[in-house]
Amino acid sequence: QNSKTVRGRVTDEKNAPISGASVTVKGSTKGTVTNSDGYYIIQAPTNGVLNISFVGYETKQAPVGAGETVNISLAPSNESLNQVVVVGYGTQRKASITGAIASVNSKTINELPVVSVDQALQGRVAGLSVVNNGAPGTQPIVAIRGISSISFASDPLYVIDGFPTGNISSFDSRDIESVEVLKDASAAAIYGSRATNGVIIITTKKGARDSKLHVNLDTYIGMQSPGKKLDLLNTNQYKTYERMINGSAGIAMPPRFLDSNFNKPIYAGANQTYAQTNTDWQDEYFVNNALMTQTNVSVSGGNSASRFYSSGGYLKQDGIAQGLGYERGNFRINSEHTISKVFTFGENLYMAFGNQRFDNNATATSGNRTRLMNVVRMQPYLPVYDPTTLGGFRGPLNSFDGADPTNPVELALIGSNTIKTLKVLGTAYLDVNFTSWLKFRSTFGVDYSNAYTQQYTPIYNDGGTLSASLATINNQRQIYSTLLFTEQLTFDKTWNQHHLNVTGVFERQGQKYWNETATGNQGTNEIRTLNGASNINANATYQENLIVSLLGRLNYDYAGKYFVSAAIRRDGLSIWAPGHKYGNFPSASVGWRISQEQFMKSSKLISELKLRAGYGLTGLNGLLLNNNYPWFAAVQTNQAIYPFGDGTSPNSSFTNTLGNKDLEWEKTKQYNVGIDLGLLNNKITLTADYFVRQTDNLIYQLPTPPTYGFGVNGVLSNVASMRNNGFEAQLGYHHNQSAFKWEVSGLVTVIRNKVLSMNTPTASLTAGGDADFGGGDPWTYTTVGQPIQQFYGWKTAGIFQTAAEVSSSPTQVAGKTAPGDIKFQNINTKDNVINSDDKTYLGSFLPKFTYSFNGNASYKNFDFSILFQGVQGNKIVNGVRIIEEGMVRLFGSGTRVLDSWTPNHTNTDMPRAFSGDPNQNARPSDRWIEDGSFLRLKNVMIGYNVPVTRLNSLTRGTVSRFRIYVSSQNLFTVTKYKGWDPEIGSKNGTLTNGIDYGQYPIARSFQVGLQVGFN
Amino acid sequence: LDQSFKTAADLQTAVNAAYSVIKSSSLVGREWFFVHDLRSDDVSTGGSQLEAPRAQILNGGTQPSNPVMNSVWNALYTAIHRANTAILKGPGVTDNPALRDRIVGEAKFLRGWAYFDLVSMWGKVPLYTLPVQSFSDSKPRSSVDSIYAQIIQDLKDAAGNLPGKSGYDAANKGRVTNAAANAMLGRVYMQKGDYASAKAALLLIPTTGADGYSLTARWLDNFEEEHEFNSESILEVIFVDKKTANFNWGGQSVGDVLNGNTELTTVRNQEYCPVAWRNLIPSDKLINEFENSGFGATKTDPRFSWTVYQSGDKYNNGAETLTDGDQNGNGSTFHGTAKKISWRKFMLMYKMSKSAMGFYPGGNNQRLIRYADVLLMLAECENELGNSAAAVGYLNQVRDRADVLMPHYPTAQYPTGTKDQVTKAIMHERSVELADEEVRNIDIMRWRIKGYYPSIAPEPLSYFQKNRDELLPIPQAELDNNPKVTGDQNPGY
Repeated sequence: QNSKTVRGRVTDEKNAPISGASVTVKGSTKGTVTNSDGYYIIQAPTNGVLNISFVGYETKQAPVGAGETVNISLAPSNESLNQVVVVGYGTQRKASITGAIASVNSKTINELPVVSVDQALQGRVAGLSVVNNGAPGTQPIVAIRGISSISFASDPLYVIDGFPTGNISSFDSRDIESVEVLKDASAAAIYGSRATNGVIIITTKKGARDSKLHVNLDTYIGMQSPGKKLDLLNTNQYKTYERMINGSAGIAMPPRFLDSNFNKPIYAGANQTYAQTNTDWQDEYFVNNALMTQTNVSVSGGNSASRFYSSGGYLKQDGIAQGLGYERGNFRINSEHTISKVFTFGENLYMAFGNQRFDNNATATSGNRTRLMNVVRMQPYLPVYDPTTLGGFRGPLNSFDGADPTNPVELALIGSNTIKTLKVLGTAYLDVNFTSWLKFRSTFGVDYSNAYTQQYTPIYNDGGTLSASLATINNQRQIYSTLLFTEQLTFDKTWNQHHLNVTGVFERQGQKYWNETATGNQGTNEIRTLNGASNINANATYQENLIVSLLGRLNYDYAGKYFVSAAIRRDGLSIWAPGHKYGNFPSASVGWRISQEQFMKSSKLISELKLRAGYGLTGLNGLLLNNNYPWFAAVQTNQAIYPFGDGTSPNSSFTNTLGNKDLEWEKTKQYNVGIDLGLLNNKITLTADYFVRQTDNLIYQLPTPPTYGFGVNGVLSNVASMRNNGFEAQLGYHHNQSAFKWEVSGLVTVIRNKVLSMNTPTASLTAGGDADFGGGDPWTYTTVGQPIQQFYGWKTAGIFQTAAEVSSSPTQVAGKTAPGDIKFQNINTKDNVINSDDKTYLGSFLPKFTYSFNGNASYKNFDFSILFQGVQGNKIVNGVRIIEEGMVRLFGSGTRVLDSWTPNHTNTDMPRAFSGDPNQNARPSDRWIEDGSFLRLKNVMIGYNVPVTRLNSLTRGTVSRFRIYVSSQNLFTVTKYKGWDPEIGSKNGTLTNGIDYGQYPIARSFQVGLQVGFN
Repeated sequence: LDQSFKTAADLQTAVNAAYSVIKSSSLVGREWFFVHDLRSDDVSTGGSQLEAPRAQILNGGTQPSNPVMNSVWNALYTAIHRANTAILKGPGVTDNPALRDRIVGEAKFLRGWAYFDLVSMWGKVPLYTLPVQSFSDSKPRSSVDSIYAQIIQDLKDAAGNLPGKSGYDAANKGRVTNAAANAMLGRVYMQKGDYASAKAALLLIPTTGADGYSLTARWLDNFEEEHEFNSESILEVIFVDKKTANFNWGGQSVGDVLNGNTELTTVRNQEYCPVAWRNLIPSDKLINEFENSGFGATKTDPRFSWTVYQSGDKYNNGAETLTDGDQNGNGSTFHGTAKKISWRKFMLMYKMSKSAMGFYPGGNNQRLIRYADVLLMLAECENELGNSAAAVGYLNQVRDRADVLMPHYPTAQYPTGTKDQVTKAIMHERSVELADEEVRNIDIMRWRIKGYYPSIAPEPLSYFQKNRDELLPIPQAELDNNPKVTGDQNPGY
């Protein structure tokens, strides 16, 4: 046979070269791969046929023919393995990935109408947990592969277009091209000391090089409402309950309930009496049909020299409770220009203005007497509004009403609490392409945010619990300014079957932080600024920190079958004590793509099979310590006062902690093994990973004995270790072969957490105690051998029915226990007394597993998608129910209190109502622990695309796409949980996760949206 | 710490920091008066509004995790730590030896004052005389004797270094004096049973001259804001009226600056006031203790209606009248009759309206030691030393106050023929003169040790169990975090 040299180029559907494509001669063993520019050379017979294949593309056959050149364009296959995945300081084809990385595309990100990207990721990535936490505009709790730190939040590192940044709530998700979640250490360790909690890489749109201008409009409008109402006492029931709880304890009826008072008008001139008033505080405080709307208009385009993407967006989300909301306007311009063969210049610039109306009673310093708690506690016979009071609201009069809740609507509306944020995130880069295989990139970026918090309370008096004789103005300005320099050199070359990529980076990221606070009072409501205010207090601080890094990474693969990756990063961080400022963070991983082996290629069943294994060492972002001198025990200069003599308050100084020069990064070792499997030409795909993460030097505030005199301050120390091991899997089925296309996928995450050691074997950290939620005993214990922050308290064994039963049982509360009280179990039987020794573990907020189920289908011009999300096997402390059913003293309560035990009504699980709760029935116990499992229909959406032909004829070709859709979020939730919502946050790092102190429930919402593309 | 507090001015800031703890909400601004009152028989619960941890102490069920008790423990040691800083750094300060010595004296007084609270309420406690600078500085519990020895040494040093009240200018008014040190010394010696030393110390308190003390002509002067630092006041904690600004509940737990508006107030008025929260009310036992002409006495003690308010009393400078309905919660039984009775001592209602009272903290200074107490202590010393006649003389001095003018002892109800009878009169007089002034629980402990319960009076605490309720439990946080105290709990807990 005549053999000749054939050359050619293999390109993708966009005419870009494909390197590493396999070119073989059919029926022979001859073969080669394309180089980095997509070219190949092979000896082949003139009548032969070339077989060209590349991962992620349909294999193509081309006759050699007479010519010397055979160029081949490959079409993408159904499988997604050709995706380019952003991996931090570079990209990799998905097929060659050896770590645990999940990609989420733009379409998925934008399916849900949510404020921030992390909310959009809920249920999308195995191993990634996103928990709603608080009012609109508040960041959810995001954790990749579990809680890895006792003291600090598990927030991952967010990297937007190469810029490591923090809060991303001001970021418009419509600009996103893709999101990559780097889960295991071998993938994330490239971010070294900040990577323990995983990395979420966000890449924004760049514009296509198709020499066309694309204009896209994406808009929706919708309504949100709370999903559930609690059964609370109405006026008549409240009156009955008052006698039940106060009467039993011999407390006289509060004067309000005397007929002479109860039948009085609710205020002078009102034609309604207290008896006739029946305020539903849930209806008054929550807001139905709260508006949410978002619009994004983008213009993009490009040619071989330049490309750009530019967009403007606006979002408004009103809260489902009074006085809450979030609004954002934003603008972006991304562009890239090829100056010459050697130089390319590009930039990304994003600016956003946000305005959040927040709940200032939900902050840590205001305790747990939140507005939501007062929704339960408020008296139904009181009106919300009272035109005769200063400010127009009405509150209870403690001595007259016998209870002192505060009017939650008044709390929300009497003043104003806003955070206005200006965010600018921009980077500019210059690429120098020395050769096809050696590139240098220099990046400069700035991340600036200016958050201005204004809290204002006017002069008002609701005639009861709330009043102020002076208006209070409380302003805070926080400015963060971060500069980033990255210098990166990349070597990338393919020869024969070898592909080698080596990356070296020097990076420097410095943050400056200004904090200014100013407070003062005004004697009038006319002036809402500090001009001429009294009691002015002002303070300003400035801090800075710096991270300097060197990193190197090597990726090698042979024949698309064997993969090795190794990286090391050395970080220096200014906040540590001298001698501990630098740390090294190495990682390595290997992969074997078995499906590329000859013996597997013929398999009809298995189309893709890869095994992966990796190890890495990562650190906890030191900036999470929120302290630029965490090791240093400074004298607290002038931090206390005492008003001697004439009222002057001379300065006072003291020390209140110990220093710890040995403080260093929490370092986590992580092992990961994974498998990627594709069956039946990748109709069925499975990705599964098993991992072990262990941190041996966890930081926490090592409690100092109170006798040291440091108040409650401990000493930050690296003293504990903890392990998370887990399994996660994502299974998909794709059916694309007919007009009816559909795919389903499901994912499951199982994580087990265990505290391995603490400063002493018997040490414990307690948290969550609150006098209102169980009497003040802590709700969580963190001890060695148990998962972090186990719920802790007494166990109950029913209700005492007789005095004989009380006296024959272990002493509960000496002299106080009576029939109708809860019987607590005597766990520690060495004495016959119920005391703190009888507390035991009551469960964990950590779920046994989490899962989600996602379905997409399209038929002709209709598309449909659905997302279920679930959590199974976790426990919740239903603190709201303690408020509803605790019966500690007279307050608005749940209707269940009417079922409480009396000598004539013994068949109940509600203890007796007795003001003062002498047996401490409301103490932390299994009575308040509930199953937190839930399955939620997170999203359902139906869309219709106007057919392109019709669009063309209608619009003469100006409109290329017109899609209209309706969708609903959180349509229903299947759960046994009795509170407002089983998705309970509380910030991690506070050891109070899963305690429902009255969290804002997630909203049920409906939208209608429109997506229009113009050519 | 090594580089700080080098000048007398710096040192002054160190001792000021100790004062700031003492006025904080963990001590005299709130939890301190609660713990003292709840451990006495002066008070009853005002109703279910009394929070669970407070009720726990009142009912004798105090757990080692009790947050109210823990606040007091933590803050007393915070004051000690800050005083220790001044005492440690004192010798290195050379720029103003006179001021330095005074500051060290103040620090020693405050340290002694704090340790006396600790040793009397918890017994053996860890004794720190230097600021802690590393975890290895943890201390085990010291013997009660060694703690008393330290307190006495501190108070003696303080008495030696501190000026009288005339030694402070207006800007420094309220700093501790040698009279305060001697009064404390007397109290401490008495608690130890050393009445001779107590008497000697108490007699060092001057009664004449610029530094002298005497009873005020008007009894109520001792509890009203307009008459702070009067002739009777030996030790006072200063608070400032911040009007209606809400009390800073969490923020000032150890006196640190967190909110410029509110860290200088005391919340006593809001907690006890008849028309505010009324968390604690006078106990039936106390209200029936006062001599009453309707019930066997020749004269009704006027201090009764100055100590408590009952329905029908005028307040707000006479502009308003208190009703049963105004007083939220429990009633009392006054000589067999149900009545609504509430605290008046230290309340601001005498000059304020009901509508203003609900959430009004207040700036009324807390008097910790006044001259009447000194006279009554002297009476007890003399009686214990066998000089009953001198004891009765001191008692009668207190009853001779211009607007009190109670008949002299012996009376029909209180004969003074024997030492025990005089003891009984002393008990009575201290009860009615000093009710709710946070000394009653100290008195009970002292008399219990003397064996006067039940030989002279029944045990005042209904829940009292021997070998348990003499002392409070060591806080759980101390047991958990101080390896040298771990496992060393007080008996019965």
